[in-house]
Amino acid sequence: MLKNKEDLTGNKQQGRATGDKVRQFFLPPFTIRFFIRIVLIALAAYLFFSYLFLPLRIKGNSMEPTFRSGEINFCWRLRYLFSKPKRQDVVVVRFAGNKVMLLKRVVALEGEVVEFRDGKLFVNERRMEEPYVRYPCNWTLSPRQVEEDCVYVVGDNRNMPIENHYFGQASLKRIMGGPLW
Amino acid sequence: MVKIRYLIIVLLIVVMGISAIFFFSPGEQKKVKKQFALLSEDVSKDPSENTFIMAKKIKGISALFSESCEFEVPGYSLSGIYTREEISAIALRGRAHFSNLDLKFYDFKISFPEKDLAQVNVTGRLIGKSVYGEQVDETRELECLLKKVEKKWLFSQLEVVEVLKR
Repeated sequence: MLKNKEDLTGNKQQGRATGDKVRQFFLPPFTIRFFIRIVLIALAAYLFFSYLFLPLRIKGNSMEPTFRSGEINFCWRLRYLFSKPKRQDVVVVRFAGNKVMLLKRVVALEGEVVEFRDGKLFVNERRMEEPYVRYPCNWTLSPRQVEEDCVYVVGDNRNMPIENHYFGQASLKRIMGGPLW
Repeated sequence: MVKIRYLIIVLLIVVMGISAIFFFSPGEQKKVKKQFALLSEDVSKDPSENTFIMAKKIKGISALFSESCEFEVPGYSLSGIYTREEISAIALRGRAHFSNLDLKFYDFKISFPEKDLAQVNVTGRLIGKSVYGEQVDETRELECLLKKVEKKWLFSQLEVVEVLKR
């Protein structure tokens, strides 16, 4: 009987200790060390999500079916730090800043001649295979050469009149990076 | 320990005070931004908008522009110098095409190259629905010049920057 009582008291003490640990973890005492830790975490998160991985919420259907409206992604800023975008890369193109950006696919590089014939993409007179384009397209665009330090970008969803799709050559300076996945 | 706690509280109060002064002070940048907020408010349209509100908004739009404003908007056959009256007429015609409209501005870069002159690089996004039920979602980068006339910043030049060149 006495032993059982001791067991109960022991369990109670153990439970209290666990509770204290949980409380300590979630509500630690507000010390200078805790304050510094909070500030450092906030600063690291700010730098990480402002300069390395920009959070993106995709709006619109210009990149369907590869990227659908409403999806969440991140723009990996260092993707083109040591290299230039390659053909078929999906890139993030900025406007005045990084609050609203465009998600497009690179179809031609600088110096190349790009053209659409009855919905088919031609680069330097060569028909390009585009497995990512799943919807029908009937675009026709006369040949044009991509200027220096630019890439030609188009969305994957071309199932709309050509006038309603925002595409063209973008300066490499405007390429912010690529989507993380 | 208690001293440190008081020190942190005092520090927080000081930071909040400085932020409040900065937030409520009417700096020139803030005044310029406010003109964009007013433009956004007056261009935006609600499906339940009545004639009285429409007239008020059109008047509001023309009041944001200087006596003459230069537009360079390729693709919308809008280029040249327009008077306030012409801008009002364009705004009236443009808004009539839509049952609802929402104009927002992002990523302001404001500089003051000369006294009483503000140069603004900004992203504008227009979302709406035409009277025929067609969805509109257009984003463009804009380069604007605003002149300070009688303590008011007025749009005097508006140009659409070509981000993707066909």
